[in-house]
Amino acid sequence: MKFKLSLATRRSLEGFAFITPWLIGFIVFMAYPLGFSLYMSFTEVQVTATKINFTFVGWDNYVYAFLSDNVFPVQLTSFIQESLITVPIIVIFSLLVGLLINQDVWGRGLFRAIFFLPVIFSTSEVINSLFNQGAGGGNFLQRFNIFGLMLNALPEQLYQPISTVLNRFTLVLWSSGVQILLILAALKTISGNVYEAAAIDGAGRWEVFWKITLPALTPFIVLITVYTIVDLSVSPFNPMLGSIRSHMFNVRTGMGYASALGWIYFLLILVSLVLVYTFGMRRTKRF
Amino acid sequence: MSVKPAITRRETWLIWWKPKYLAVKSLLLGRGMRPGLLSKIIVFILLVDIAFIYLYPILYMFSTMLMSTLDLVDPTIRWIPTSLYWDNLVKAYEGLKYWQGFGQSVMVSLIGCIAQAISCALAGYGFARYEFPGKNFLFVLVLLAFVIPPQTIVIPLFLLYRKFGWLDTNLPLFVPELLGLGLKGSLFIVIYRQFFAGLPTSLEEAARLDGASALGIFARVMLPLAKPAILVVSLFSFVWHWNDFYLPTMFVTSQSKWSLVRRLQVLQQSLDDIYDLNPYGLSTMTEPVNMAGAFLVIMPVLILYFVAQRWFTESIERTGLVE
Repeated sequence: MKFKLSLATRRSLEGFAFITPWLIGFIVFMAYPLGFSLYMSFTEVQVTATKINFTFVGWDNYVYAFLSDNVFPVQLTSFIQESLITVPIIVIFSLLVGLLINQDVWGRGLFRAIFFLPVIFSTSEVINSLFNQGAGGGNFLQRFNIFGLMLNALPEQLYQPISTVLNRFTLVLWSSGVQILLILAALKTISGNVYEAAAIDGAGRWEVFWKITLPALTPFIVLITVYTIVDLSVSPFNPMLGSIRSHMFNVRTGMGYASALGWIYFLLILVSLVLVYTFGMRRTKRF
Repeated sequence: MSVKPAITRRETWLIWWKPKYLAVKSLLLGRGMRPGLLSKIIVFILLVDIAFIYLYPILYMFSTMLMSTLDLVDPTIRWIPTSLYWDNLVKAYEGLKYWQGFGQSVMVSLIGCIAQAISCALAGYGFARYEFPGKNFLFVLVLLAFVIPPQTIVIPLFLLYRKFGWLDTNLPLFVPELLGLGLKGSLFIVIYRQFFAGLPTSLEEAARLDGASALGIFARVMLPLAKPAILVVSLFSFVWHWNDFYLPTMFVTSQSKWSLVRRLQVLQQSLDDIYDLNPYGLSTMTEPVNMAGAFLVIMPVLILYFVAQRWFTESIERTGLVE
């Protein structure tokens, strides 16, 4: 007798079959490496010509990262400080440009093309060589001695990250191509009727922005914030990329320690994403 | 019979001038939701300024790569070189071993983008059109795959590829792509999912009545409809693979297999080897060559962007990603 499945079961098997290639890929190239690097982060790894030895060392790698290593904590704090400045700049900038382009302005298509252009250069060594050669836009500010003024006005701890970000100001703006498009698409989802109704009720454009446009955009602002954080975490200017690689082949610290750094970094990104998401979604519900 | 009273000056103003005054005022300042001319001009000027800051590095690249050393050190010359100096381009071309690198870049990007366009479509379709237990959990894993930094998993991957014997081949750049992972694979799955979810279900029902299999429906009904999504995914995937840097650096070591982007990083060094040209370590002298190199590396995708520009910028609206 032929074995027969109910229609619903057959459908869900079909669906599962479509996911299977991805699931295999995820297990082999994501889940397994992620779990394995977590395991390695608690061991000391010795690579010999024939095999690799793992010695369990408990929390040693993590303790070492924060208490004994004199490079990593500094890099981490400067990365966090810079991100805290960079992410809001990118989000606000893409919101601003999105709103500007969304208006009925001459050359809309052209502007849209220009503001998306940097995506072509994304995460590339090309950006690195452009900005290493002083095309970074920091010299705009130098011409007006902004850095000198800031050095006088700000405490050293604030000056350092701010000047780093300003030095790469154009680069910071360059990271907002996709975000601008997302804002533009989001603005299209707001129905014109709402604006007409507001106009009939006598609302000004200022009021309409704060009471209609911005609340409607809030979920998308959360979305672009999340995207920006993920994007920054793999940017070629991220100091974490280099430091993990250098520890990997460093005989003294080795792969176990590099894995621990990788996990600290991953948790940092994950926690900040969860924070942004929960905070942002709570704001959204209120409207 | 009474004579019509003469119009007072105030009435003249009200009847004759006030409508004109109001018309000009609303033209300049706008009325209600409609922006006026003045605000349009301000918005335009703002956008032009921002666009200039945006394009500055690119303009800088173009102008610097055509400058001779004399032009570079001449403080009176900022943007326009006295004469077009092609030597930098030639040097960069030789230093990059351009055609070899170009071939590698095209191969990696083309295979990567075709693989992702197909594999992500499969997964996206499954997520969009089927119900099965654990679907939501699996979709959370898709999103998780998006936020896991490559730095965190690069060491186990390195060991894994060593075991497979894939080191110094291009396989680490292709196989994950074939399975819907790789560079921003999750993003592409989400794009496909949103796209397929927007199509009417009657399509599949009709095809099923005609006796088509699940794979047949996907290949012959859904994929042809998904052309906009396929195009968007392929374009982005191509460009991102072209610029991909971190993972290739880890897994592909021999120089003949390097993509253009990686050759740019060592351009300086290879030029020193060829010409013995940098004995003083003066970076301004080699700056134009570096700019020329950057231009040569990015030029193919820049051309692609200008040809397919509308597909890039309208991508998000067309695929209905935001909804």
